[in-house]
Amino acid sequence: MTIIHNRSLDDIDDTAPVLGGNAITRAFSGGSLMRLIGMLVLILILGFLTIYPLSMLLYGSLHSTPPGMAGEFNLDGYRSIMTTQNLMILANTVGISLAKTIPSLTIAVFLAWIVARTDTPFRGTLEVLITLPFFIPPILTAMAWGMLANPQVGVINMVWRWLTGAQDPLINIYSYGGVIWHMCQYSIPFLFLFMVDAFRAMDPSLEESSRMCGASRWTTFRKITLLLMLPVLTSSFMLSFIKGIETFESALFFGLPAGIKVITTDIYESINHRATPDYQYATSLSFAIMGLMFLLVIAQWAVLRGKSFQTVTGKGFRPNVMELGPWRWVTFAFCVLFFVVTVVLPVGQLLLGSFFRFFGFYTYDMLTLEHYRAVFSNSEFWRAVRNTMMLGLLGATATMALGAVVAYISIRTKWRGRSLIDGMAWLPWMMPGMVLGVGFLWAFAMLPGPIPIYGTVWALLLAYIALGTPVAVRVMTGSYHQLSYDLEECSRVHGASWFQTMWRILVALAWPAFAVGWVLTFFGIMRELSASILLYSVGSETLAVVLLKLWANGNAEQVSVIGLMMMLLVILFRWVQLRFIKARISKL
Amino acid sequence: MASVTLENVTRMYGAITAVDHVNLKIKSGEFVTLLGPSGCGKTTTLRMVAGLEKNTGGRISIGENVVSDSDKGYFVPSERRRLGMVFQSYAIWPHMTVFDNVAYPLRIRRKSDKEIRDRVMNALRLVEMEQYAERPSPALSGGQQQRVAIARALVFEPEVLLLDEPLSNLDARLRTQMGDEFRALQQRLKITALYVTHDQSEAMALSDRVVVMHGGKILQVGAPEEIYRRPESRQVAAFFGTPNLLNAKVKDCRPNGGQYYKLDVEGQGWSGECHAATEMPRGTDVTVMVRPENLQIREAGEANGGLSWSGEISQAIFRGPHRSIMVKTPAQTLHVETPSLAEIGIGRPVTVAAPSDAAWAVRN
Repeated sequence: MTIIHNRSLDDIDDTAPVLGGNAITRAFSGGSLMRLIGMLVLILILGFLTIYPLSMLLYGSLHSTPPGMAGEFNLDGYRSIMTTQNLMILANTVGISLAKTIPSLTIAVFLAWIVARTDTPFRGTLEVLITLPFFIPPILTAMAWGMLANPQVGVINMVWRWLTGAQDPLINIYSYGGVIWHMCQYSIPFLFLFMVDAFRAMDPSLEESSRMCGASRWTTFRKITLLLMLPVLTSSFMLSFIKGIETFESALFFGLPAGIKVITTDIYESINHRATPDYQYATSLSFAIMGLMFLLVIAQWAVLRGKSFQTVTGKGFRPNVMELGPWRWVTFAFCVLFFVVTVVLPVGQLLLGSFFRFFGFYTYDMLTLEHYRAVFSNSEFWRAVRNTMMLGLLGATATMALGAVVAYISIRTKWRGRSLIDGMAWLPWMMPGMVLGVGFLWAFAMLPGPIPIYGTVWALLLAYIALGTPVAVRVMTGSYHQLSYDLEECSRVHGASWFQTMWRILVALAWPAFAVGWVLTFFGIMRELSASILLYSVGSETLAVVLLKLWANGNAEQVSVIGLMMMLLVILFRWVQLRFIKARISKL
Repeated sequence: MASVTLENVTRMYGAITAVDHVNLKIKSGEFVTLLGPSGCGKTTTLRMVAGLEKNTGGRISIGENVVSDSDKGYFVPSERRRLGMVFQSYAIWPHMTVFDNVAYPLRIRRKSDKEIRDRVMNALRLVEMEQYAERPSPALSGGQQQRVAIARALVFEPEVLLLDEPLSNLDARLRTQMGDEFRALQQRLKITALYVTHDQSEAMALSDRVVVMHGGKILQVGAPEEIYRRPESRQVAAFFGTPNLLNAKVKDCRPNGGQYYKLDVEGQGWSGECHAATEMPRGTDVTVMVRPENLQIREAGEANGGLSWSGEISQAIFRGPHRSIMVKTPAQTLHVETPSLAEIGIGRPVTVAAPSDAAWAVRN
C-alpha cells in the first residue's frame, strides 16, 4: 500500500475554522439549527396528534354544547356521569375485563409453554395457527359468533337441538359469557405473542442449576421458572386488563342487545343512539375513563419498577424442552382445538352465511351467489375498500416513519427535548380508541375554518396515526437496541457521512422491524372501529364501518361476504409477513 | 502514512476528567499501544483521535493537519479524517457480504467498480480471506470477522489505523496467532497504528512503543522492554506481571558508567546491589522491583554479588512451562519462577538470589 500524498487544499477549505462566522453560520455548521427546526416540527406534529385532542377533550367536557357551537362552560357533564347507573357500568367494565384476563392469561401461559418448552409435534405450525386470531378484525369474529351462537338460529344451537331434541338453546352469545368469550379470543393470542419469546429465551442453565442443587422438577418450576417469569406475567396481566377496558366490539355486539353496558359502549351510545347526541356527557365520561387508564398505567409502572427481564438475553440458548411422551398428542390436540374454535368455526360460518339466501336457513334450494353479486356491485363497498386500503397504506407508512424517527431521537441521540417527544408519542397508549375519537371530534371541529379536516378521510388518518404511534415507537426502539452503536460509528470512521450512515447502515438493518411494525399497524387500521365510528362521515366510511352498518340493517349475508374478503386479506398479509420478513430477520 | 500528535488533549464528562492533558507523538509507521486498566481513558483517547468524541481541551493533529482544536472550536468529523478502525466488536455489518463490508469505504468514496474489486480482493488476500468474499458476514467465526474488519480498515489506505481491543473477543490461542499476524502485516505495510488494550503481553508483543495510562494520565511511554525492565514508578512496575516489590533504603549511589546509576540498598534482613534511572541520595526510601523469572533458588548460604535473601520454601505450584515457588524470607514472601524440571522440597531452607542488573529501584 502506498502513502497518500493527495491531502489537498479542499480538505482544509472544507473544514476551515467556523469560529469567525456569525451565529447562524456557526449553528448551521454544527447542524444544530437544522436539528432545532427538525425537533420543533416533530414536537408540533406530535402535539397536534396527542396533546391537542387531549386538551380538547378537557375543553369539551366543560362545554355545554356540541363541538363548534356557542355555549357556556359548566360542570354539568361531570355531574351527569355521577350516577348509580354509571357506577354499575364501571363495575361491569372492570369486572368483565378481570373475568376475561384471568382465563386468558392461564390459557396463554399454557399455550406458550406448549410451544416453547415441550416436544409437542408441529410446534412451528401450531405457533402460526395460534396467533392467527389476533390478526383477524374483531368485528368479523363478533359477527360470525353472532350467527354461530344466536340462541334462535345459531348453527351451534340448531345442531344441539337436533342432537338432543331440547327446546332451550345450549349457549346464548348475548350475555356476559358471550362478551367475555369473544374478548378471550383476542386476549389469548395477544398474550401468547407477548410471552412466548420470554419462555423461549430463558436460560436453561438457571433451571438446570436448580435441579443440580437437588430441587425436583416441580419445585424448580415453582421456585425458579415461575418466579423468573413473574415480571412477564405481571406486565401481561396489566396489559391485558387495560386492553379489556378499552375493548369496544365485544360489548357492542353481545353486550348491548342483552342490556350489558360498559364504558366504551356507553360513550358510543350517548353520541350515536340518542335522539340528540349528548356530547358533554360523552366527553366527560371519556375524560374520566382516561383518568382511570392513567391510574392503571401508573399502577403498572409501580408494579413493574425494578423488575427486569434479564432472563431474556441475546444468546442463542436451546431452551429446555420437556419430553411429554404420549401426552404430546394431548397438547397438540389442545392447540388444534383452540385454532378450530377461534378461526375455523367463525370463518366457516362466514363461508356458510355467504352462500345461503338467509342465514339460519341452510337448505339446498337456498344456495345462492346473489350476495356476492350484491356486494361487488355495491359502490359503497368499493368506496370503503378504497378508503380502507388508502388509509392502511398511508397510515401504516406515516405511523412507522414517525415512530422510527421518535425512537431514533429518544434512544440514539442526546438531544434536548428527546424525552418530551418520547412522552408525547406514548400518550395515546392510555387513550382507548373511543376516547381518542371523541377527542379528535372536538379537535377537528375546533380547527379554524380554512382547515376542513372534519368529516374527511384525513380525520381518520390522523386518528389512526395517533393510535398507532406508541406501538410503532416500541417496535423501532426494540430494533435499534439490538443494533450495536459500533455499526454506525464504524461507518462514520470509514468515510460515510451522517446521512450515508443512516441510509446504508441503520435503515438497511432496521427495515425488517419497520416492515413488521408496518404490517401490525396496517392490521390495526383495518380492524379499527371505535374511533372510526365516531369520525367517519358519508364518503369516508371504512370497511369496518360499512360492516357495522350492514349488520345493523340485518344484512348478515352480505356481511359474511365482506368478512370473507377481509379474511383473505389478513391471511395474505400474514403469509407475506411470515414468509419474507421473518426469513429476512432470521438471516441477520 | 501519517503521524499523530496529541497536545494537552483533555476530555471532561461534566466534572469528571476522563483524559487529562495527554501529550503524545506517534511517528509515521509506528505501532503505539495505549495500555491500562479499564476506565483509564485509553479508549476515550482513541475515540478522540477517531473523531467519535470531541476533546474538550487540547489539539489533535494527523500528519500535518490539525483535526481538532478545542480552543478554536475546530473539529473535523470522523468521516473526513481518513482513518481505518477495528472495533472491539468488529462492527461487521450483518446485512452485507464479506465483499460488501470491505468495499464499503471505497463505495462511499465513489470509486469505479473495477478499482473496488481489485482493492477489495487485494485487502482480502492480505488477511487470507479472499475465498470468503461472497459469504454473508454473519456466517463468519470470530477470527474471520476480525480479519474482515482489518481488511476493511486497510482497504482505502488510511492515514492511521486505530484498533480498539481487537483481540479481546478471541480465544487465547487465536489471540496470539492473530496478534503475530497483525504485527507482521503492520511491519510489512509500514502502517501507523494506534492500538488500545488492557492485555500487557499483547501490548509488549505488538508495539514499538507502549503508553501506560492510569486515571486519564500517561504514566510512562517507552519501548516494551524499557517499560518492563525499567519502569519509572511503582505503579507501572506493578502493572506488568506479578513482580516482587521490596521496600528498601539507599546506602550508596554511583554512576554505573552507562545511562544509569548503581545503588547499594538495604531492606529488612537483606542488602545488595541494584540499578536506578536517577541519582538518589543516601537514605532515600525506594521500592526495589525484581521479577520472578529473574530470581534463582540456590542452596542455603550460597550467594555471589547482586541481591540475595535467605528463607524457606513455603509453596510450589506446577504451571507446565515453569514452577511458581513462594519463598518465605524475613522481609516478605518472594515469588520465584523456576524451570519446572527442578526438584523442590517444601520447607527446605534456600537462598534466593538475583543479579544486580535484574533489580530496579524506583523512588517511593
